[in-house]
Amino acid sequence: MHSSKESLTNDYPKFAVVGHPNKGKSSIVSSLALDDSVQIGDTPGTTQVKRGFPLKVDGKIIYELFDTPGFQRARRVLSWLNEQEPVSADKKTDVVRAFIATHRGDERFIDEIELLEPIVNGAGIIYVVDASKPYGAEYEVEMEILRWCGQPSMAILNLIGKEDYTDQWKSALGHYFRMVRTFNPIKATFREHIELLDSMSQLKEEWTKPIKVAITVLEDLQNQKIEQSVDSMVDNMVKVLSFVHTYKIKGESATEVEEERLKHGYREKIIGYEKEQEKNIEIIWNHRSIEKVENMLVLDNVGLFSKESASIFGLSQQQLIITGASAGAIGGLGIDILLGGGSLFLGSLIGGAVGGVGAMMGFDNLYEVKVLGQSIGKRELSVGPMQNLNFPYILLGRSLYHALVIAKRSHAMRGDINLDNEEFFTEQVMDSERRKVLEKVHVSLRKGDEPKEEELKAYKKALKESFEGLM
Amino acid sequence: MQIKNHKISIESYLNFSELLNEYRGTHEENRLFALKHEELFSNSKQILLAWMNKNDFRKKENSDNQNILNKFSTLGNFIGLFSLIFGFLAGLGLLSYSGHAPVNVIYYLLFAMFIPVASMLISMVSLLSSGTVFNALSLFFPLHWIETILGFFSFKDKIDVANNLFSTELKKWMFMSRLQLFSLLFSVGLLFALLVIVVSKDIAFSWSTTLHVTDIGFFKLLACIGFPWGHTLPSAIPSVELIEMSHYYRLGENLNSQMIQNADKLGAWWKYLAMVTLFYAIFLRFLLWLATRYGYREQLEKDFLELDGVQKLLREFKTPFVSTEAPKVEKHLKIVEENDEQVAHVVARVYDTIVGWNFSEDEILLVNDSRDISSSNISSVGGNNSFKEDQEVAKGASKVVILYVKSWEPPTMDFIDFVEELLANADVHEVQVYPLGTVGRNYESDEREISIWKRKIQGLKSKKVWVIDA
Repeated sequence: MHSSKESLTNDYPKFAVVGHPNKGKSSIVSSLALDDSVQIGDTPGTTQVKRGFPLKVDGKIIYELFDTPGFQRARRVLSWLNEQEPVSADKKTDVVRAFIATHRGDERFIDEIELLEPIVNGAGIIYVVDASKPYGAEYEVEMEILRWCGQPSMAILNLIGKEDYTDQWKSALGHYFRMVRTFNPIKATFREHIELLDSMSQLKEEWTKPIKVAITVLEDLQNQKIEQSVDSMVDNMVKVLSFVHTYKIKGESATEVEEERLKHGYREKIIGYEKEQEKNIEIIWNHRSIEKVENMLVLDNVGLFSKESASIFGLSQQQLIITGASAGAIGGLGIDILLGGGSLFLGSLIGGAVGGVGAMMGFDNLYEVKVLGQSIGKRELSVGPMQNLNFPYILLGRSLYHALVIAKRSHAMRGDINLDNEEFFTEQVMDSERRKVLEKVHVSLRKGDEPKEEELKAYKKALKESFEGLM
Repeated sequence: MQIKNHKISIESYLNFSELLNEYRGTHEENRLFALKHEELFSNSKQILLAWMNKNDFRKKENSDNQNILNKFSTLGNFIGLFSLIFGFLAGLGLLSYSGHAPVNVIYYLLFAMFIPVASMLISMVSLLSSGTVFNALSLFFPLHWIETILGFFSFKDKIDVANNLFSTELKKWMFMSRLQLFSLLFSVGLLFALLVIVVSKDIAFSWSTTLHVTDIGFFKLLACIGFPWGHTLPSAIPSVELIEMSHYYRLGENLNSQMIQNADKLGAWWKYLAMVTLFYAIFLRFLLWLATRYGYREQLEKDFLELDGVQKLLREFKTPFVSTEAPKVEKHLKIVEENDEQVAHVVARVYDTIVGWNFSEDEILLVNDSRDISSSNISSVGGNNSFKEDQEVAKGASKVVILYVKSWEPPTMDFIDFVEELLANADVHEVQVYPLGTVGRNYESDEREISIWKRKIQGLKSKKVWVIDA
């Protein structure tokens, strides 16, 4: 098992994220370590002890990040260091070690010892400041202490608030750090994350190779997560669109209440499948803590069967007809109509013509309730597979949107995430060629057939391309 | 290392499915397992079987699989035996000879060749079809009806449970394979009946049809049917003479004289009938059974690899396990809620002492000007000042002190040390901590920042110190 002591002695790059209290050190660690279990708070002293976040591949540590408490009595530490016998630059780290040894167990310096210990043991320094607040001379004391440690170092400008004092900070930090980078852990994209790692690799020659390996590993991991997300979305699509819900009835024909119960059960089951799928995506992207905060689910405010959902994620009437025709869906359905099996699409067209977009994309034509004969006089109602032509696009659009928000969501983010007002239509992320590929599978599922393997492969490919495009 | 290629059986399929419902392991565990079994890396099936064997103990103790399989086996044996006996009885019925009218070989050929060939053709079409077409075609097979009837027996539920575990395609191959086996057993029964009758009775064969078929025409048809063995076993093809003498007309009151004169030769048909049964009903059926058996095995393996959770397992075997989380669980800090104790909402115009924490003297003057606050004793502490300088300021403070702080910079212990020194000064009656925002915000601080200061100051539990929230 990995222990803190072991991590400090082994020969792999280590980085201590240090700074003034409440400047976003934990947010940066959380974002870089892809771990949302880190406690992030607006109360200074949220981080009380250092915590190592090793990047391990098959158990082998590639690098390790340390989240540390903020400086509390920096002036006293520097004062102690200055009071010691003057030493040459190469011995200054020993003086810091001596400070740690002398004050271990001294409650006044718990925080300083926690943050300085990994550094004197070889960790690189990542000094975090909030560039949305003005620079102050009090920071110089901290930077001076870090200079005593003699380790490779860089500064990160974290813009927590709305104001911007980046220039002020840059000119001050430039005196103490060879490298100054801007990184917002809340908004950082995967690419920015990789760029920051790349900067960290340049701090020390020996660290370049392992960090490059780490970058490759993280890029592979990102691709795997995209693939897993796509697989999960497609599995859910197949499950939902082919789902058939049955309900036992007492008489020869169903009462209105029985029919309503059936429809309600059908809807609830599908909503349940969507929730399961969302949870799955959150696990894939390691956002396990999302459930801890109420109202955090991306699409909670827009119900799957709502008209809002249909108008945001569904296809327009025109695109629906073009997609259906290009994939042969309408032809197939025409045959169904002749056989008396499916007047739903026709109903949609009429509804669309009469009631406008709402009727076309709405859910008045969701159900085709059948009464099935059963043995010994028992009868049951059934609904499904899903016959609404637009529903697959609504479901897929919602899944894609949710996956996108989760995939792009920083692990440092702790607030609510809600559907933005930005325009997001399945039409925009799925061009007509891709929709044609999707429609083939939708047609099979609508008929109650299993989609062909090559069609499913093409489906996944189209979805993956759209997802990657959005990422 | 040589890898033993274990075949997937229906039992391992069911066990694996059950295990996956119970347990799928974590990525870390599965990757570790794969690294320990590197020799199986290239063989998905074998590595999955090895994983299954390792984790077999995790299955529920009261597994129903063996029970289901036993029921299946019993049901299969029963239908198999039934088919064999039914074939034998059908053969006895077809070949029953009372001594008056001879046995019409055309009846027999219908059961021994035409029906089996038609059934095999429908089987092959069924194998190529799916969904509704397959369901419609399966209505032609007696096995479908036998299984439907057996479905009403007490173990129906068990069979239903097992059936739900199989894909439609696998069920199709299972059904077709069973169908071929039972048809084969039926034909064996039929052949056995033929041999028993031939040995135990003197039986006269004839042929008779309403259609206008000449003896030569009939001979050509039979020779064509017997083509597969005609060259190697010519005696098992009826001669033109035999066909002529076996031609039976229904209008004759009795057997014609030619038939009676050659009664000893009419039995020669049996070799031909036996070969027809052997080749068409048994040999071809056997080949089809082997083909469906192969198809079933292939489908079983395919389904095995498509069981829910298998692709995830395989991916986890092959993908390096990357972890970035901290092994040490963080002890979460309990946030103390602030209250309105020690909070002042009004700022006085004049103070006895003004002290700025991390403010330069110029900055303090700017704040005074902006907030219209004045004092005769103004000092700067913190920042680059030394402790000695700070101590002097603390000692020199008196009566009511206003302490400017940067609202966005959370209170450090260094600050608290200074406040405690101020409070220790008996001349100081009251310390008012005034959190100020940035110049850009006109020194206004937000609620969140004030809240942090309130909590910290309340933690000092001193009645002399206040936070200004104006």
